[in-house]
Amino acid sequence: MFLAVKEMWYEKLRYSLVIELIFLVSYLLIILTGLSSGLASLNKAAVNEWGAETIVLDKDSEGRLAQSFLSNQTIRSTSGTPISQYSSIVKAKSGLKENSTIIAISKHSFIYKNLSVIDGKKFTTKGTVLVSDIFKTAGFKIGDTLYLNNSDVKLRIAGFTPQATLSATPVVYTSFTTIKPLTRGTINALLTSKKKIKQPTNALVLSKDQFINKLPGYSAQNMTFNFMISFLYIIIFIVISIFLYILTIQKLPNYGVLKAQGIPTKFLTLNTLSQSLIISIFGVIVAIIFGFITALLLPSEVPIVINIANIISTSVGIVLMSLFGSIIPIYQIAKVDPYKVIGG
Amino acid sequence: MSNLIFSSVNKVFGSGSSRYVALENIDFEANSGELILVVGPSGSGKTTFLTIAGGLQTPTSGNVTLNNEAITRLNRKEQSQLRLNKIGFILQSYNLVPFLSVKEQFTLADKVKKTNISPQDLDQLLTDLDIISLKEKYPNQLSGGQKQRVAIARALYTDPEYILADEPTAALDTERSAEVMKLLKTLAHKRNKVIIVVTHDMRLKKNADKIYQIIDGRMSLLK
Ligand SMILES: Nc1ncnc2c1ncn2[C@@H]1O[C@H](COP(=O)(O)OP(=O)(O)O)[C@@H](O)[C@H]1O
Ligand SMILES: [Mg+2]
Repeated sequence: MFLAVKEMWYEKLRYSLVIELIFLVSYLLIILTGLSSGLASLNKAAVNEWGAETIVLDKDSEGRLAQSFLSNQTIRSTSGTPISQYSSIVKAKSGLKENSTIIAISKHSFIYKNLSVIDGKKFTTKGTVLVSDIFKTAGFKIGDTLYLNNSDVKLRIAGFTPQATLSATPVVYTSFTTIKPLTRGTINALLTSKKKIKQPTNALVLSKDQFINKLPGYSAQNMTFNFMISFLYIIIFIVISIFLYILTIQKLPNYGVLKAQGIPTKFLTLNTLSQSLIISIFGVIVAIIFGFITALLLPSEVPIVINIANIISTSVGIVLMSLFGSIIPIYQIAKVDPYKVIGG
Repeated sequence: MSNLIFSSVNKVFGSGSSRYVALENIDFEANSGELILVVGPSGSGKTTFLTIAGGLQTPTSGNVTLNNEAITRLNRKEQSQLRLNKIGFILQSYNLVPFLSVKEQFTLADKVKKTNISPQDLDQLLTDLDIISLKEKYPNQLSGGQKQRVAIARALYTDPEYILADEPTAALDTERSAEVMKLLKTLAHKRNKVIIVVTHDMRLKKNADKIYQIIDGRMSLLK
């Protein structure tokens, strides 16, 4: 630590520049990770809330709920609770509107039981709905009447539920009878909380994760984010490697003499390791602070999730990459032969 | 009683047409209380000799013993420990860590080796070498001669039994060189150390207890 800190203090400009660079990349990483998990959750949060492990769809549906129309025969021969979905823009008198996914479930299903309520209550009678808390943020109130495009079905908000988004739209939960005029009784999927079920004929059986991965655009979006995020980790590794490599190369004669004086190699390599730790920890701390500030300043429509779990995993990743970045410099220090620097 | 003995030491670099005999059949002995000078022209093998004495290189053949222990048989780690505990090296260059002040050069030594040297002893040493006023300075603020004297102080600081110096007076004028040699001589005599100085500077001869000459890798006792 002694050498590490002294050197960083002596070379303030160099080290603060590299800390700044690590800060900027870490900040970008935190924001991207936050956006990635925010968008992922917009896509799939509702599915996780349902508590279903297995989803049965029409075999020609390509795994997409909206394109799945189960036959009566499949429904009769398969266990599971049915759901229907209908996509529509819903509006209130006040002019507020939301592009939503309406999901019909039975009041006796495990899904109904698993839904939590943050305000009001779950839907009960025909025409009442439990809607995503996004509606609440948008200004809708309990008791508001919702109108659908091209339909005279009216819905009344009974309560708000959190984590109710599917394919980036807020979900409106209601009963089958309420949306019968819209869906004409179509059942799109059967859900069960069992991990394994008997394979029904003419149906596609997906696990929850498979179903989520087939949500429109979900995998492509994740892959794009993961690609960018991995690249940023690699950039951190390269920045630290090159920076410490160049500094080490410049100091090799000094390391040689220190070794000649009998200073243990371990003492010298620990100093390089501490430097990469100090650089990355400083960079990460500033990045976390800026990340939180950014999340606060961004409008609530931006789906960014900066939570402790994300912060910890990103920070650990950055620090690990920096530590890996010190491997080459450490190797150089370890192999420098004192005689080579002294000779002549 | 410390002693350093070379018996029939050879050092050969390369092989075939690039084979070069840097040290040939060296017999050498140094005991505590002696300031020994090894003089020779550039390229004669002085640095090679000194680095073998300090366990930084191994001889091609022959034996080197330090306190009757063959240093050639120690592994790298043991050699490093030996240098830390028993040997003070004064090298031709890069002796000082560029980002540490003069004072901190000594703190660094404290970090890796527990010494029983008091701050007063250090101040005395720095006064003797006339560098006490430079304590807060960094190496790039020092002249070549000042750097060399700090390096000497650094080597003496841990109170090693052996001091191996490679051209320690190269950057010093005649007067300073004589003072440094006197200091080394006093240390050898009063503190009973083995001090070996290799140099091409013939002016240093008058302070030495024993003088060896090295020419083309062959050593002979002059005095
Ligand atoms: N690693 C090496 N490989 C090949 N030749 C070397 C090596 N080290 C030293 N030599 C040669 O050995 C001779 C003695 O070198 P050195 O001990 O450094 O001389 P001095 O210190 O007296 O100037 C020189 O001719 C030098 O070129
Ligand atoms: Mg030399």
